[in-house]
Formats: sequence, structure tokens, C-alpha cells
Amino acid sequence: MKIMVCLKQVPHQDARLDIDSAGTWIQESNIKFEINTYDTYALEEALRAKDEGECEVVVVSIGPDRTTQALRTALGMGADRAVHIKDEEADGSDALGLAKLLAAVAKEESPDTIFTGFMSDDDNFAAVPPMLAELVGLPHTTAAVKVVRGDSSLTVDRETEGGSYEVVELPLPCLVSVQTGINQVRYASLKGIMAAKKKPLDVKSVADLGLSGSVGAGAAKVKIEKIAPPPKGDTAELLEGSTDEVVAGLVTKIKELGLL
Amino acid sequence: MGSILVVAEIQNGAIREASYELASVAQSLAGTSGREVKSLVMGSGIGALAEEFSKKGGGSVLVADDAALENYNVDAANAAVRAAVEAASADLILLSNTPSGWDVAPRLAAGLDAGFVGDCFRIDFDGGQFNFRRRVFNGKLDAHVSAIEGTIVATVQPGATPPFEGTTDGSTSDLSVGFEGVRAKFVETKKSDSTGVDLSKADIIVSGGRGVGAPEKFAEVIQPLADALGGAMGASRPVVDAGWLPHHYQVGSSGQVVQPKLYIAAGISGAIQHLVGMKSSNYIIAINKDPDAPIFEVANLGVVADLFDVVPALTEAVNGAKG
Ligand SMILES: Cc1cc2nc3c(=O)[nH]c(=O)nc-3n(C[C@H](O)[C@H](O)[C@H](O)COP(=O)(O)OP(=O)(O)OC[C@H]3O[C@@H](n4cnc5c(N)ncnc54)[C@H](O)[C@@H]3O)c2cc1C
Ligand SMILES: Nc1ncnc2c1ncn2[C@@H]1O[C@H](COP(=O)(O)O)[C@@H](O)[C@H]1O
Repeated sequence: MKIMVCLKQVPHQDARLDIDSAGTWIQESNIKFEINTYDTYALEEALRAKDEGECEVVVVSIGPDRTTQALRTALGMGADRAVHIKDEEADGSDALGLAKLLAAVAKEESPDTIFTGFMSDDDNFAAVPPMLAELVGLPHTTAAVKVVRGDSSLTVDRETEGGSYEVVELPLPCLVSVQTGINQVRYASLKGIMAAKKKPLDVKSVADLGLSGSVGAGAAKVKIEKIAPPPKGDTAELLEGSTDEVVAGLVTKIKELGLL
Repeated sequence: MGSILVVAEIQNGAIREASYELASVAQSLAGTSGREVKSLVMGSGIGALAEEFSKKGGGSVLVADDAALENYNVDAANAAVRAAVEAASADLILLSNTPSGWDVAPRLAAGLDAGFVGDCFRIDFDGGQFNFRRRVFNGKLDAHVSAIEGTIVATVQPGATPPFEGTTDGSTSDLSVGFEGVRAKFVETKKSDSTGVDLSKADIIVSGGRGVGAPEKFAEVIQPLADALGGAMGASRPVVDAGWLPHHYQVGSSGQVVQPKLYIAAGISGAIQHLVGMKSSNYIIAINKDPDAPIFEVANLGVVADLFDVVPALTEAVNGAKG
């Protein structure tokens, strides 16, 4: 059995977000990056299947040089192989462009299951996984919080709203986008990190995947014109001063509300 | 020129509020872009609902009425929307960013080789093209997105637009859909077992987020303030995901929706999925060390500081004030 996991490297959750000089993205120099939170859960789900039996786990990521670090971390956690799609021609791809690149790899690999995250913490598209499924021709579901593996199908609980779930059965091969909290994610062990150095990491260009001219900024159907902090609307009145002063202000307010 | 297709959603036997919001987005874009509004209403035994929607903003409604659409199924829904896009010659297709919308819309876009813009809170037509606004980085920044050419599929954030209020000249017509390609199988819907705290009954809720940093800090810092105020403790999703607290503490779109007299958010950034669960609270106090955190947009009173300085001191002061 083979499982493909799509993972993206994104700015660290606590990174400072300063807008770049073009005003269309954030400044990526001098900030830390990490594996997208949702994708760590997707990888863990694949590694659990591997723990249970014969299974190869292939991690795939599109990104610049720094992405190697994310792939090495994934290999350190237990993935067997990595594919790094690294090419300036892929820069400026919209969600469909990214899905096309991942689909080309999925067609070469023909995995039994593809696990992805539900959403990327930077772009917040939540679009690449269903697009990838459509392009490869696989059934899919999103926001999985439980996956039960059968012989020829997966039974998935997908989270909907307000504590409700839909249970859906998908024939294999299929794609599942994973919601956070589905499992408890492992850390890479020291031994794992050492072993990861010897595991295969293939680098592929857009041309290698036969997609020259079909991805990247030139082929994108939608484009970010500008990025900006949300307009300050009716923001909160701020209490300023020393901790004592702030606390006194809070107590006064709570009393005014009649709650103390 | 194409039309604007609204994909309506049925929930608990009625057209969802979010679909009337889509209708209002579509009706205003119809004016500015010179397009006609058409809609799709799908389900089983839903003729009357389709009729109703056509008169309340839906315009010409295509009706896909089939047993295969009784329960939500991604493939069946996708087949119905594909048929409707063709029948309506639509070049802007609008869905709500709900569990079915986020499942179907990107797949639809890829199948149509169309552009996709997800979870928009605003769509305009100017300069001869559609322009979209959406949040990125979990609500910390806004992106202005333009559609360069061709067909566009967009999802709209529920609650971002007032629902359509007027009446429209509507009509309905049957849409025939082939369901041969359906592979996903609906099994059942379930509710999480709601044993635990019912936060909806609490007058005061003190919630902690990822900024609280460690499970024991909830017992040491957040719970004591909740206790001092005679309230309940809540949490954001990452706290529950990490196993620091059980699911029944979670406030938000996939947790509980609460409306206490006072909601105190400590170390919570204010992502939309958290906000929908608490923004109707009567009074909101936010404590966060990041002055740009979106939580301050919904809070009445804010403190930009380390929660570990403010919360314990506040607990002490509240206990003192009670004498
Ligand atoms: C389909 C879907 C459903 C979801 N459902 C929910 C839901 O029901 N509920 C929910 O909450 N989320 C939900 N989410 C997740 C949501 O998108 C956010 O990821 C989540 O709300 C972030 O939680 P947070 O604010 O605690 O963490 P973060 O966004 O990481 O924010 C932590 C905050 O703590 C602050 N901070 C750090 N240290 C300190 C300190 N010492 N003092 C003061 N402040 C500090 C930081 O400045 C930051 O603003 C859902 C997401 C999706 C896609
Ligand atoms: N650059 C990328 N490389 C690999 N996987 C990606 C990439 N972008 C998105 N994905 C996958 O698609 C999921 C959803 O991302 P998005 O559609 O951007 O919100 C992520 O959680 C990843 O699993």
C-alpha cells in the first residue's frame, strides 16, 4: 500500500507578518517557517497506517529551497520518501496551479490514499485538496476527524457544524483532507532525524512534470492585487497603564455590568 | 456574457439563511455587471422550497429534485451543479462557505478549469471584472483578489452579507442530472455526545486560547478567574486539538455557540471560526499581547498585555472586591 501526503511549509504561527514592498504578500525573510498545522495531522494519519502494516508513505511539497527542511522533518517523523517540487516557474500559482502540480506527482505515484490538510494557515484556500481529487479522478472528502480503513474503502467522519458529523464511505483509491485534532501528532525522534538524512528526496521542476506554461503566475486565473491589515472598524476601547491600573479598569467595568 | 448562478442549500427542511445572503450578493452584482441571476435548488421533494427561493432573490431557479440528493453527497451535488452551470451558461458561480460548499466548490472549479476564490466577505464588479475580498493568515490580513478571465467559482462567508429581503420575479424549471459518476456513499449523520458543560447557560465565560501555552495553565490561570467570577471556562480549538481540554469546552463554529453576559478571551487571536461562536456575547473583553489580533475587532474592551500578568492579578482583584 502507498499513501501520499501533501504538505506545505508556512510561516510559523507566531511569526511577525509584515507586508512586502510589492504589497501583495508578507515579507518572508527573517521569519521562521514550519509545516502547516493541518498537514502534521495528515502526516500522522498516514504514519499510523504505516505502523499498522506494510505501507509506504511519500510526502510531497511545492515550495522554495527552505521547503527541504519541512520534508526532512517529515522524513524524520517516519515518512519513507519525499518529492520536492521546486521551480521559480511555479511561483504565483493559484490553488488550481498548485493542484495541477500535485496531480502530476499523484499520477506518477498512483497512491491508494492521498492525505492532505484541510487548509493552509497562510493562503487559507481550503481548495487544493478537492481540486487535486478532481484532477486525478479520485473520490474525496474534507475535514476528516476519523478515518477507518477497510479492505477496499475508507469510512470517514467529516466534521460539519456545531458538533455534528457526516459519515461517508469512499472506495479506494481516494483523497481525504484532514481536520486538526484527528490524532495526536508524534515528534521526530533523534534516531528518526538521523535516519532521515539517508532517505530519498527527489527534486522536480515544472518541466519534469510536463506542466510548463500551465502553472505559475502567468497561468493563474485569480490574482492577489493587494494585501492589507483588515480596516480598523469599531475596535475595542483599550485599557492602558500598569497592570494594577488595567486590572482596576476591568474590575470597574465588570461592576458596571452588574456582574460583581 | 454569462449569468450568475447561486447554489442554494437546504438545511433542516428549509433554505439556509446563508443562501439568502448569496442571493443578495448575486442581486447586487447583477446590477453592476449586467448579468442575470439564476439559482440551483437541489434535494429530494423540494419543489415548494425552490418556488419560495425564486421569489426571494433566487430569480430563475433550476430544480434538481432526485432521491440521490436526499442526503448531502459530494459527487451527486457536484453533478447537479455542473448540470446547472451548463443550463444557466453561468460564468460566476456562488456557493456558501459551509461544509457542503467547501467540499464541492473547489472540485467544481477544477472540473470547469475555472478560477476559484474561497470564503469571500465581499465581491464587487468594477473595472470590467469581478473583485473579491477574503481573509488570509487566519483573519490577520485581508487579500484583494481579482479574477483575470473566464469562469469563476467563489464561496461566500456566511454572516458577512445581510440576507436578501425583497421579492423577485421568479420562475422554476426542472433540471435533469445524471448521477452515474457518484462514488462517495453517505452513511449517516451523527452528533457529538454532549456530555459535559453546557456553556450556553453560563452568564460569564472565561476562555483561553493557544496563547495560554500549556494544559496546566488552564487550571492555574484561566479556571481561577472563571471561578472567582462565578462563571464557566471555555477554550479555542487548538487547546482541544492538543488534548489540553475536552471538546465540550470548545467555543466556535465546530464547538458551542455562546452568548453570555460577559465573555473574556485570553490568548485567543480571533479567527472567524472562533468569532462566530462568541461574537453575539453581550460584552466582550479581550486580553492579547498582539495589538493587531483580530479579536480586538469584536471586543468591547481590550488589554494589550501578557495574559500571565493580567489574568492572575484580575482574579485576585475580583476575589478582593467580593470581600
Ligand atoms: C472548519 C473549521 C472549523 C473550526 N472551528 C473552530 C472552533 O469551533 N473554535 C475555534 O476556536 N477555532 C476553530 N477553528 C480554528 C481557527 O481557524 C483558529 O485556528 C483557532 O481559533 C485559533 O485559536 P487561537 O486563537 O487560540 O490560536 P492562535 O490563532 O494561535 O492565537 C493565539 C493568540 O494568543 C496570543 N498570545 C500568545 N501568548 C500570549 C500571552 N502570553 N498573553 C496574551 N496573549 C498571548 C497571540 O498573540 C495570538 O493572538 C476552525 C477552523 C476550521 C477550518
Ligand atoms: N505548496 C503546497 N505543497 C504541498 N501541499 C500543498 C501546498 N499547498 C496546499 N497543499 C495541500 O493542500 C492543503 C490545503 O491547502 P489550501 O488549499 O492552500 O488551503 C494543505 O493542507 C496541503 O495538504
